Amino acid sequence: MITALKIKNLTKSFGSLDVIKGISLTANQGDVICIIGSSGSGKSTLLRCINLLETPDSGDVWVNEELISMTKNKAGDPCPADYKQVDRIRTKLAMVFQDFNLWTHMTVLQNVIESPIHVQKISKQNAIDRGYDLLKKVGINEKAEQYPSSLSGGQQQRVAIARALAVNPDILLFDEPTSSLDPELVGEVLRVMKSLAKEGRTMIVVTHEMGFAKEVASKVVFLHEGLIEEQGEAKEVFNSPKSERLKQFLASNLEG
Amino acid sequence: MEFIHLLSLGDQGWGDEMLRATMVTIMVSISAMCIGLFVSIFGTIAKLSKNRLIRAIGNTYTTVVRGIPELLVIYLLYFGFNNAVMSIANSLFGYNQYIELPVFLIAALAVGIISGAYSTEVIRGAFLVVPRGQIEAAKSVGMNKFLVFYRVLIPQVLRYALPGLGNVWQLTLKDTALIMVTGLVEIMRQAHIASGSTYSPFTFYMSAAILYLVLTTASSMALNSAENWANKGVKREKA
Repeated sequence: MITALKIKNLTKSFGSLDVIKGISLTANQGDVICIIGSSGSGKSTLLRCINLLETPDSGDVWVNEELISMTKNKAGDPCPADYKQVDRIRTKLAMVFQDFNLWTHMTVLQNVIESPIHVQKISKQNAIDRGYDLLKKVGINEKAEQYPSSLSGGQQQRVAIARALAVNPDILLFDEPTSSLDPELVGEVLRVMKSLAKEGRTMIVVTHEMGFAKEVASKVVFLHEGLIEEQGEAKEVFNSPKSERLKQFLASNLEG
Repeated sequence: MEFIHLLSLGDQGWGDEMLRATMVTIMVSISAMCIGLFVSIFGTIAKLSKNRLIRAIGNTYTTVVRGIPELLVIYLLYFGFNNAVMSIANSLFGYNQYIELPVFLIAALAVGIISGAYSTEVIRGAFLVVPRGQIEAAKSVGMNKFLVFYRVLIPQVLRYALPGLGNVWQLTLKDTALIMVTGLVEIMRQAHIASGSTYSPFTFYMSAAILYLVLTTASSMALNSAENWANKGVKREKA
């Protein structure tokens, strides 16, 4: 079995602020890795470095055992060596954002079929058929012709998940997918994510939903100040945390 | 009933001259708007550039053109262009006669450069309000720079820029009145000539006012439907 994702010694700083201080992580196919930690611990930045929405300062990322090749620009800052490779790899790594980020000038269906048609050059009819299937899967097919602005947050996030699935990714990246949602809308999004996990999809999930992590994660990673403080199977991490910081974090996040 | 006679078509009246002048106003306005939009693409790129020098050039352009009276910009460009062409002709070919540049071209360029400064500000503003997240979402599904620009940025920039560009259009249309000083016979110049030779200034300036109003009203109606089209997905339908 090939490794779905491998990160080695990744670092990232913004100005003088070191956000990621050297993280290595491996995900096998079918793994659901939940990244937890208090805000400012670098969770989202780590996720965004994987698909190069942020350019890491140093370190390597392999997707399906293919190394994303980096180089330095004229100013000496790191940048991708081959943008075509980055664009191609990004379709293997579709991302779901905290704020949904649906394109507001397109209908729900157009959002889902945009990349399959224009990036992957699938025929329009094929893309539409697949688009409806995916919208059905996330339970929102009857809203296909509407614009995102007329949908609730939970519905928008489910469309965003369908849009991510539409490029047929090998790995799904979730960046706090329920943090912008009203509490009563969180459930519908988590249900969709759970069903994806059950299908055996590889998922990297940055989340504050400890219940979800406990139930679904094959591995939980606890970040603290840009480093992995503790990691292991969900049961281990939640039931017998070793580090003092993780104990404190869990104590303040598990109630309720 | 004197004014009907004055405004009739044919040899006796000034009606056909006024209509022809209206066409000139429309043509200059459209040319100037197009030149302005073309200039504003570079203006926007310059003002959003990471390079400090290029950004300074963009800022100088919009600050200078928006900061001095439009009539003055027109004079400066009119005489500036003429002088430039004449001195080039002189130094390259030893030609030292007065050269009259096509006045329509100068007028369209002058108003276009003014209009471009305002369009630049509008389009730059529109670029900055497109949510960054939508661009990131486009990248995250593998869109390259061209697709991000063409499929996600441009439609939204248009949406945000349209009301502002509508204002620029009206401004441009009215600014063409100032180019009467160059001698181009547009509405304002024609009204001026006609009132001078008939001693009925009010009749002609009033008809000029009505002609401008017709043009601006028609264009704001067209603009409203354009805005409705561009705003699909924003205000329409409530689930």
